[in-house]
Amino acid sequence: MTDPVVHIAQLNLQYAHDVILDQLDWQINRGECWLIGGRSGSGKSALAKALAGLEKTSGTVQVNIDPQSPLPPRVLYVSNWYQFTNLEGDRNFYYQQRYNKQQKNDTLTVYAELAAYANSENLLLEDLAKYLVLFEFADLKATQLIELSSGEHKKLQLIKALWLKPQLLIVDEPYTGLDKASRQKLNGFFDELASAGVHLVLITNETDLPSCINRFAEIEKGKLKQVDSVSALSMDISRSRKVIPPFLTEAPALSADIMVEMENIRIRYGEKEVLKGIDWTVRSGEKWLLQGHNGSGKSTLLSLITGDHPQAYANHIRLFGHRRGSGESIWDIKERIGIISPELHWYFDKTARVWQAIASGFYDSIGLFRQVSYEQQQKIDQLLAFFELTEDKDRLITTLPLGKQRLVLLARTIIKNPPLLILDEPCQGLDRAQTALFNAVVDELCGFGKTLIYVGHYETQLPNCLEKKMVLEKGEVQVIEEMSELAY
Amino acid sequence: MANYFNTLPLREQLNQLGVAEFMDISEFADGVSALKGKKIVIVGCGAQGLNQGLNLRDSGLDVSYALRKEAIEQKRDSWKNATDNHFKVGTYEELIPTADLVSNLTPDKQHSSVIDAVMPLMKEGATLSYSHGFNIVEEGKQIRKDITVIMTAPKCPGSEVRAEYLRGFGVPTLIAVHPENDPQGKGLAEAKAYCVGTGGHKAGVLRSSFVAEVKSDLMGEQTILCGLLQTGSILSFDKMTEKGIEPGYAAKLVQYGVEVITEALKQGGITAMMDRLSNIAKIKAFEVSEELKTIMRPLFQKHQDDIMSGHFSRTMMEDWANGDKNLLQWRAATGETAFEKTPAGDVKIGEQEYFDHAVFMVAYIKAGVELAFETMVEAGIKPESAYYESLHETPLIANTIARKKLFEMNRVISDTAEYGCYLFDHACKPLLAGFMKTVDTDIIGRDFNEGKDLAVDNQSLIAVNEAIRTHPVEKVGAVLRRAMTAMKAIKTV
Repeated sequence: MTDPVVHIAQLNLQYAHDVILDQLDWQINRGECWLIGGRSGSGKSALAKALAGLEKTSGTVQVNIDPQSPLPPRVLYVSNWYQFTNLEGDRNFYYQQRYNKQQKNDTLTVYAELAAYANSENLLLEDLAKYLVLFEFADLKATQLIELSSGEHKKLQLIKALWLKPQLLIVDEPYTGLDKASRQKLNGFFDELASAGVHLVLITNETDLPSCINRFAEIEKGKLKQVDSVSALSMDISRSRKVIPPFLTEAPALSADIMVEMENIRIRYGEKEVLKGIDWTVRSGEKWLLQGHNGSGKSTLLSLITGDHPQAYANHIRLFGHRRGSGESIWDIKERIGIISPELHWYFDKTARVWQAIASGFYDSIGLFRQVSYEQQQKIDQLLAFFELTEDKDRLITTLPLGKQRLVLLARTIIKNPPLLILDEPCQGLDRAQTALFNAVVDELCGFGKTLIYVGHYETQLPNCLEKKMVLEKGEVQVIEEMSELAY
Repeated sequence: MANYFNTLPLREQLNQLGVAEFMDISEFADGVSALKGKKIVIVGCGAQGLNQGLNLRDSGLDVSYALRKEAIEQKRDSWKNATDNHFKVGTYEELIPTADLVSNLTPDKQHSSVIDAVMPLMKEGATLSYSHGFNIVEEGKQIRKDITVIMTAPKCPGSEVRAEYLRGFGVPTLIAVHPENDPQGKGLAEAKAYCVGTGGHKAGVLRSSFVAEVKSDLMGEQTILCGLLQTGSILSFDKMTEKGIEPGYAAKLVQYGVEVITEALKQGGITAMMDRLSNIAKIKAFEVSEELKTIMRPLFQKHQDDIMSGHFSRTMMEDWANGDKNLLQWRAATGETAFEKTPAGDVKIGEQEYFDHAVFMVAYIKAGVELAFETMVEAGIKPESAYYESLHETPLIANTIARKKLFEMNRVISDTAEYGCYLFDHACKPLLAGFMKTVDTDIIGRDFNEGKDLAVDNQSLIAVNEAIRTHPVEKVGAVLRRAMTAMKAIKTV
């Protein structure tokens, strides 16, 4: 059999008036596994989706399924950003609602979801066990989908793809939200799949790759350009340091020296204890790194600070000098906190445009419901320039590259010049260059008396300003230390 | 107990029915201060009870839950809802005497017995709050004269009340003070503060009365909202399968179609919904809806008359007393319909296809919204009240059908709505039997435009557009929707 697995010729794709792919030709031959890397916004994800038949294109996209192969005759695309589409009634949810307990199971459990998948794809449940174990999913079978953390969602998506073993598997940013150990395990699985005959296409700029990858390419001016190795891929042009808008250099009016004070925090869901006696004090101006494995309790801990968790009322928490539950509203709290999290991005208004999204930051609302004053408009314009987003201000956020989408969310959350910034895995799904850019902006913004809590996985990819670190493990504090004492 | 409305002289009936003042956001400048530091005790912890309580607490108010002793001892769902979210929970005897405001958020059916138990325990001069006025107006419950009686009625299911609050918004809300129970004159200030606590002030607030709320709410829910959507879903599905359309496709077109179609209604009224059709389809839908309005008008009038006279509530309460015999029997019958039993097929239906393949459904929804609105206004209800109870709520009910069909709709809505829904459905189907014989798959099931010349006569199109756009529900709708500008768009299925 000599047909190529994929034959693409003269492929064209436009988003509105922007040409993304221009007469692109590509051939994937038997035995090849490809890596597509290069600059953000160059069209990597668009090409991946086009290959999976998910984009409106002109030209030839031919996938030659091998009828003799024992593998399912399928092309599967795993997107870089987890979109939740199969959840009944999800349109009526907002993400903080997952913290509210209600005796009504509105969403599927992980196990029900996987069982349904096994049923529709004719898969054997016994083949699933090793993936569940290696991704530490065995304990999560009875968990409702809405209760999973973002990292767990990504793993669930990977589990399904690995389990299916489609003849052609395209994975966009496969390492999103995975720690180092998980990434190595994943590479092992990719190699297993490749030796079983799966053709892989990975979209990433990561350098720790499965050994089966034997072709490298990037997209230049809408055309595919093959290169020799990962190191030959083009990188994003680095950001030139800019003057910070003056309104952000005003030190926030502080009401207290201690921003967050938590004593013996305990959170339990039924039998499951998620936080087991956490003590933590964040002083004004400190820059904290918060780390821990997926499911260690980081997001729950932060939700207690941001006013999203009902159990905050049953714990000893002081925020900005006031005891939680002493008559403040959650809007009083949110006014002082700038927050980004994978969930916020995930549930963000899909119809929002860049300018409106940033403006909504003045009111901490998802969607803009009020008029913006002239002075506020000026601040928005200054921030657009600072973030190099002026040209994109009228675009739908969802049409921007992921890195720029996160910068929009950072601009949205910083617009009110909050004293405390909480950035929960703000670089999840971003490649190295995008992450470096994002962290550089965070460093620039975090002078001037701001307090920072930053959640991130990889210690080589963090803002420079971080000083202290807390590591959670299974709901307990494992380490609290000064960052300067760390040997990288 | 006598029906409160029927004890009033005509002049006072008209006076109370006519309370409808759309409030400006500046009237809520005092925020929650009228309730700050006061003890709010919510009775009942179902969907409305829990979600309103979560919002009120997150707005800085002191909230606890009073539950019946058995509910606490047996650790029922209401007890779990409250304790899992770390609210203080106690019996009526423990908590009601401490309350400055008691919010009764139990199901309508239990109101009389709940009030009988709670009222003697309430402290002198406290406030009693409702989210629906049935108990006061239809059952004629008399409340102790020192107690202030108010209403704050979010016009959305409980989960939505919470979700919109967390997004930094709210849901449109009706507030009212019962004129027989406002001894200190504090009712309006407390109703406004409660409304701010649940986030309603950001999405538009209508100052109403107990009477206007009840008479319009009952009318809306049993005709356009639940009754008409149920009948329309069943008739559309049956017609399609009768004419050979694949049942899975038919089930999906109906189940998700009502949601997609009414999403246009939500964002831009009947005008926007009709504008999604091609010109020829729009003219066809207009003609069909005019015909449907002529056939169904007497039925809408009968429902409104029975609501105004108290006949509806009296017969329904007789069924309550009879162990819900009728209700349970009708509920079971709905579960047995072919539409309910056919799962939605695994076919892709594009967003526009839901309009082009369901011209009948568009026409039918237009007819129902306009009829409900017109009938209410003719009966003395103000256009603002009529708008909320017809057009505004239709997409919300359609969402429940998209989730789990009629079963889910009837589970989510109140018992009162469910009872009225079946009454309407049972009368409407025979009424439309003759008309349905003339319906073919061009207006339900297949693309109306297919194989047709899309040209239209200018004059007929102008006349049809004029008639759609100048309908009074469109005029009042344009004003009220401006207050709810940022309604989130639902995802297309």
